[in-house]
Amino acid sequence: MLILQAIIDGILIGGFYALMAAGLTLVFGVMEIVNFAQGILVVLGAYLSYALYSHLHIDPFLGLLITLPAMFLVGVVIYWTMIKPIRRDRVIMSLLTMFAVGTVIEGILDLIFTSNLVQTTTSYVNSSVQIGSLIFPEIYLYSFAMAVVLLSALYWLLYRTKFGRNLRAAMQNPTAARMVGIDIDRISAFTLGIGVSLAAAGGMVFGSTNSFDAASSYDLISRLLAIVIFGGFGSLSGALVASIVMLVIEDVVAVVWSPTWGQTTFYLVLILVLLVRPQGLFGRTAVRAQ
Amino acid sequence: MSVIQVTDLKKSYGGIHALSGCSMTFEDKAINGLIGPNGSGKTTLFNVITGYETADSGQVSLRGQDITNAKPDEVFEQGIGRTFQITRIFPRLTVLENVHVAAQRQGFVAQARGWDSAAERERAMEVLEFVGLARLAPEIAGDLSYGQQKLLEFAFITMARPSVILLDEPAGGVNPSLLRHISDRIRALNSEGVTFIIVEHDMEFVMRLCDQVLVMHQGSALTSGPPEQVRSDPAVLEAYLGTGPKEGS
Repeated sequence: MLILQAIIDGILIGGFYALMAAGLTLVFGVMEIVNFAQGILVVLGAYLSYALYSHLHIDPFLGLLITLPAMFLVGVVIYWTMIKPIRRDRVIMSLLTMFAVGTVIEGILDLIFTSNLVQTTTSYVNSSVQIGSLIFPEIYLYSFAMAVVLLSALYWLLYRTKFGRNLRAAMQNPTAARMVGIDIDRISAFTLGIGVSLAAAGGMVFGSTNSFDAASSYDLISRLLAIVIFGGFGSLSGALVASIVMLVIEDVVAVVWSPTWGQTTFYLVLILVLLVRPQGLFGRTAVRAQ
Repeated sequence: MSVIQVTDLKKSYGGIHALSGCSMTFEDKAINGLIGPNGSGKTTLFNVITGYETADSGQVSLRGQDITNAKPDEVFEQGIGRTFQITRIFPRLTVLENVHVAAQRQGFVAQARGWDSAAERERAMEVLEFVGLARLAPEIAGDLSYGQQKLLEFAFITMARPSVILLDEPAGGVNPSLLRHISDRIRALNSEGVTFIIVEHDMEFVMRLCDQVLVMHQGSALTSGPPEQVRSDPAVLEAYLGTGPKEGS
């Protein structure tokens, strides 16, 4: 029963990790940028929800109506001011730029919120629903539902709209996309906006379930990168599956063996998978056709 | 009457002058062939016209309007479509989706609407029918043969009804039967008023198809004229044989 509980916990927590990882892999797929700032953007989202809750008493889930559009704008502004002006060695320079953006945001957050750990402690953070001997923490149930809604919306956008088709086309072949008149800058700005919004949504849950400060971003980005590499860079479905697999492995190993070995075991599994499939679970050997 | 005019176009990569003061005029509603030895600047000229490369100096105009250094999507909006030496399609979209993606000139509002309208679907199938790929509409584009991918690229360029189409080596790696099919489609579109500019090394293909042939050598225009005139021009032969153009030619 403990193992079943660990599997359920892993799936529920994996849901919001999938949100954050989806943002990272989407940005890579369209722009070929490994967004090193994703970890600190998650923390920024967590701080925004924390500030709205502690100062204005706005419920973190309701607060998403403010934080998601705000973080979308942050992503768009980062693209137009930092990424678009890069003329040479775009991929490498973008990567370094995002690293710099992350460092600046971390410094600003440290100045505003100091390095004291905080947590968004709503009334339902410590509540849970019990079915038989299985326990479902309410915050994880709500966050899993939110992840399903947001990822479904993302799926709808990508696979049921013309814009999404253009975005997928740009992911597969940016040169051909330009050739048929797709504005890659507009697509890229929008994509970074979505990626940062998803980070904010994940951050809201992260900040409600963990004590955090700006430095928490380092652990987050390493976990998110591991998830995206495991699932295959640029693959949305890979990010979803890998998030859940990672969290389930961690939780099950923590229960049957030791919490210390939870994360280590996942990394061992990651290495084994990469030995067999270097492109990750759902990655393609040739992401770009030309 | 000219459709695209390039004037004193220059483009260098370090010490290599890919375009060195290139000036030429492409005739409207004609099939223009653009030939020249390897490294003469043909593809660079295509890239500069279509916004994939920025010119160091000089001017590109479309029907008198300056489009120098416009972005590729802006050039496409102006009605210029192009293909590449290596076929560029969207390999994980279906054949039909590939063609739909090319309908960008409808503008942003149309894209924000839900899915494709009946008229758009009809137009997409019409275009696929035109190139002979209608039966492959639901297939994944990456699964098509090389020749079929060439046709698909041609199809999605025509989807947006461009007035000028630039084809970069359409005959490369294509079997004779498919090449005849491509020639037929080019002629059919040309008879509807579409201008073509074709870079091609297959001289028979160029001489048979084109109304006007322009020759490039060492980054600038060498000569131009009807195919039979260009074919017998000694300066062209010398350029291809590597002895360089005669002075004053």
